[in-house]
Amino acid sequence: MTDERQAIVACKAGNTENFRFIVDKYKTRAYQAAYYYTGNREDALDISQEAFYRAFRSIKRFDITKNFYTWFYKILKNLCINFIHSKKSRRIYYENSNKNTFTSEITSSDDNPQVQLEKKERSQLLKKALDELKNKDKDIIILKDFQDLSYAEIAEVLNIPAGSVMSRLYYARKKLVKKLEFLNE
Amino acid sequence: MNNKLSCKEARILMMGLIDNELSNDNKLVVMEHINSCSACQTQFDSFNKLKEEEIIMNDLPLSEEIFDEYWTHVYNRIERATGWVILSIGTIITLTYAAYMMLKTFFYDESEPMVLKFGVAFLAIGLIIVFVSVLREKLRIRKSDKYRRILR
Repeated sequence: MTDERQAIVACKAGNTENFRFIVDKYKTRAYQAAYYYTGNREDALDISQEAFYRAFRSIKRFDITKNFYTWFYKILKNLCINFIHSKKSRRIYYENSNKNTFTSEITSSDDNPQVQLEKKERSQLLKKALDELKNKDKDIIILKDFQDLSYAEIAEVLNIPAGSVMSRLYYARKKLVKKLEFLNE
Repeated sequence: MNNKLSCKEARILMMGLIDNELSNDNKLVVMEHINSCSACQTQFDSFNKLKEEEIIMNDLPLSEEIFDEYWTHVYNRIERATGWVILSIGTIITLTYAAYMMLKTFFYDESEPMVLKFGVAFLAIGLIIVFVSVLREKLRIRKSDKYRRILR
């Protein structure tokens, strides 16, 4: 945290090299978040890199006492929303997102191939169900379950009262569970 | 907290239990309800299964090559933006000076008709007014628009 704060202070003074520390720390989370929205590797890379560039450009306005990632996430999410809207208007987003499956991003692990394949298939079903949710529900699930933000941080990102986070999560997860039949077996 | 929770209250508080965001006292109250209500127990189990699936999905390793040159691409964007700003300033200064010299030559040239000089003067003044007006409007929107980060 101290290192991060020092890096941000240096960035505020215009030091580009210190921004690398921030990028290295958050690039995986940023990429994954963008991927959950775009469903495409190249677009997720492009959007997450653009978000880092815009964060650096605006870093003088960042309040050092606040959480960097929640601030950065707002920039990233807005870029994702713009991207989805522009793709939707060209009517190619869904076709593309269906072609680019989540499994293409995953490398082999220590599990045996059968177990790995099952995991990939279930993850694909989960990704598909997630994509079918309304943005409001999808947002809160991504923030909690895939970005691992606390309820207070989620409230800050979504600009909602902290007390509403739990109920919004409940209704969103309930809809997701309903879509995933294998969870109800 | 009231020890007698309704199912609706218990199900919402379940989220805090699953995400470890409840105090110990509240955890006990919710657990007590779950243990005594089969419908809530079933729902609790399905939420836990969902969480497990999400953990698997999130933990599937990403190939390292995705992040090859990641920083270089971010750095290039920063560097290019600085380059564009400097280029723009240089272009504005150069073009403004060229326009000034052209207009100066034009207005000092006695062979040019007075009507044409007035026409060119109004044209230049009009362009400046329109430019300043658009610039002022853009700055005002940028300052007050809460959706300014959303590209239109």
